[in-house]
Amino acid sequence: MKVLVTGGTGLIGKAIRHAVEENPCDGEEWVFVSSKEADLRDPKATKALFEKHRPTHVIHLAAEMGGMIRISQHNVEFLRNNLLINDNVLYNSHAMGVKKCMTALTSAIFPCEIQYPVDETNVHDGPPHDSVSGYAWAKRMVDVQNIAYNKQYGCKFTSVVPINLFGPYDNFSLKDGNVMPALIHKAYLAKKNGESLPVWGSGSARRQFMYSHDLGRLMVWAVKEYEETEPIILAVGEEDEISIKEAVELVVEAMDFQGEVAYDTTKSDGQFRKTCSNEKLRKYLPDFKFTPIKQALKETCDWLAENYEEARTESKP
Amino acid sequence: MATMRVLVTGSTGLVGQAVQRVVSENPTEGEEWIFVSTKDADLTDFEATEALFQKHKPTHVIHLAAMVGGLFRNMKYPVDLLRNNLHINDNVLYNSHKFGVQKCVSCLSTCIFPDKTTYPIKETMLHLGPPHPSNFGFSFAKRMIDIENRAFNKQYGCKFTSVIPTNVFGPYDNFNLQDGHVMPGLINKIFIAKRDDTPFTVWGTGAARRQFIYSYDLAKLIVWVMREYEEIDPIILSVPEEAEISIKELAEMVIEAMEFTGEVLYDTTKSDGQLKKTADNAKLRGYLPDFKFTNMKQAVKETVDWFVNNQDIARK
Repeated sequence: MKVLVTGGTGLIGKAIRHAVEENPCDGEEWVFVSSKEADLRDPKATKALFEKHRPTHVIHLAAEMGGMIRISQHNVEFLRNNLLINDNVLYNSHAMGVKKCMTALTSAIFPCEIQYPVDETNVHDGPPHDSVSGYAWAKRMVDVQNIAYNKQYGCKFTSVVPINLFGPYDNFSLKDGNVMPALIHKAYLAKKNGESLPVWGSGSARRQFMYSHDLGRLMVWAVKEYEETEPIILAVGEEDEISIKEAVELVVEAMDFQGEVAYDTTKSDGQFRKTCSNEKLRKYLPDFKFTPIKQALKETCDWLAENYEEARTESKP
Repeated sequence: MATMRVLVTGSTGLVGQAVQRVVSENPTEGEEWIFVSTKDADLTDFEATEALFQKHKPTHVIHLAAMVGGLFRNMKYPVDLLRNNLHINDNVLYNSHKFGVQKCVSCLSTCIFPDKTTYPIKETMLHLGPPHPSNFGFSFAKRMIDIENRAFNKQYGCKFTSVIPTNVFGPYDNFNLQDGHVMPGLINKIFIAKRDDTPFTVWGTGAARRQFIYSYDLAKLIVWVMREYEEIDPIILSVPEEAEISIKELAEMVIEAMEFTGEVLYDTTKSDGQLKKTADNAKLRGYLPDFKFTNMKQAVKETVDWFVNNQDIARK
């Protein structure tokens, strides 16, 4: 088994590497590549990458990503570049007879007007939120292509939908990062500079947060064992959904931050909840133990403090 | 020097030929029309598309080129229908933006709407659910035209829009029994049944219902959209709901037009496809309350006569 992991140096790629190193298996070779090795928007470069490594399996994580502001200002580029990347990877996976290709989607693909909790069957039930439209549509088209390739050629292409990740090697940028890494970074700076910790919104919005290391283990399981074409949501349960205020308190504890927390209620809370059902995952892995959130946050905060210089803390221009 | 240079892709197809007819019947000062097809460029290829735009430097584009097929082709080749159309559409829209095209009008279809929906279908319902599984590859590729139109308009102010015809028919259609749509399929089957003195078999139960628009009428409307329609939102181009007919009624019209007197059979083991796709043409009627569609029997007769008299060039 030779697994090619595109986008292999990002948050999820590092988490998969961590899971693989925790549990190395005989007869498995894992190759983690990034944009340095190949520009996946280019069909020739993608083909060359596949011919060089000749994978039997692919975990496709590479994407052009960004925070809400950058995506909404560059919708065309996010749409087109991700369409290109995904098409090239899937096409070459088929051409090379890859046994399974598993793509990471995003919870942003779900319709913005929908009843919660959502599950895997809701992906195409309405348009995604306008602010992430280009990125979301390009990711949705992966699911469409997976179904098409399976129908026409019998390819085993599938996808996972991770929810609200955090962990080492995350994008901690205050502008582009997701809510948890941005909070962690803010707490780090507030502690370092002796300032108060600013939190946007009232803190009442609720989210399910998952440690990237847990996702890494789940994705290693999925690439070996998950046989459906339909996506699978990889998330903690609904019962583990917490408010942003609770998340702040956990980060404050993990960072050992003693200063004041200031909620800026003039800023939007975003969607109140975006609860995703992990029922499908539970059916497959009823005994999977998620890392307790306090431990996960401690590990992530410690990682940021130790690796601040190398960490992704700046937003892209 | 023409003030308006209109590039029409897919111009040798069913709709393209009708646009050619409309333009030649009504030439307008200051307008130059460039009709291209796969002979001129493979639009699935980015460089070839760019070279085409570089050569003609259009001010306007009517984008009709697509990989299309009837129900059975869609079911068998969803990857090809998805990818080829995604590539064609992205190449045309991107180059339209790059070359500063003032307006690009693309062609969608009512078959791309959500399968589970209320009727009649309106333009605003396009993305409210997944399309019918029988043509999901084609449908998603076409839906992405609307997504790209909005994205290009929002970010760059491009005037990219689209039309949504219902079932189109007319001269120059694809009459192939495997790949063609329902109307030309019926015409060709009756032609063969007449010629070979065999029964004529309709696939399905005949219960499916459709609104049919004559390609000539559609072409007039597309040219109007290109000149006058300023919205980015798509516009349905269709006969009214009251003109919807069943496949059985359609078969009877074609039988009459072709003077077929043999046996008529219905192969109910074959799929009907979607049972209905009724579209609301209220938006069109709001803009053009007095537009007169060609009488259906006359349109069917013209199409049948064309097919019978052009056996050497008809696609079958």
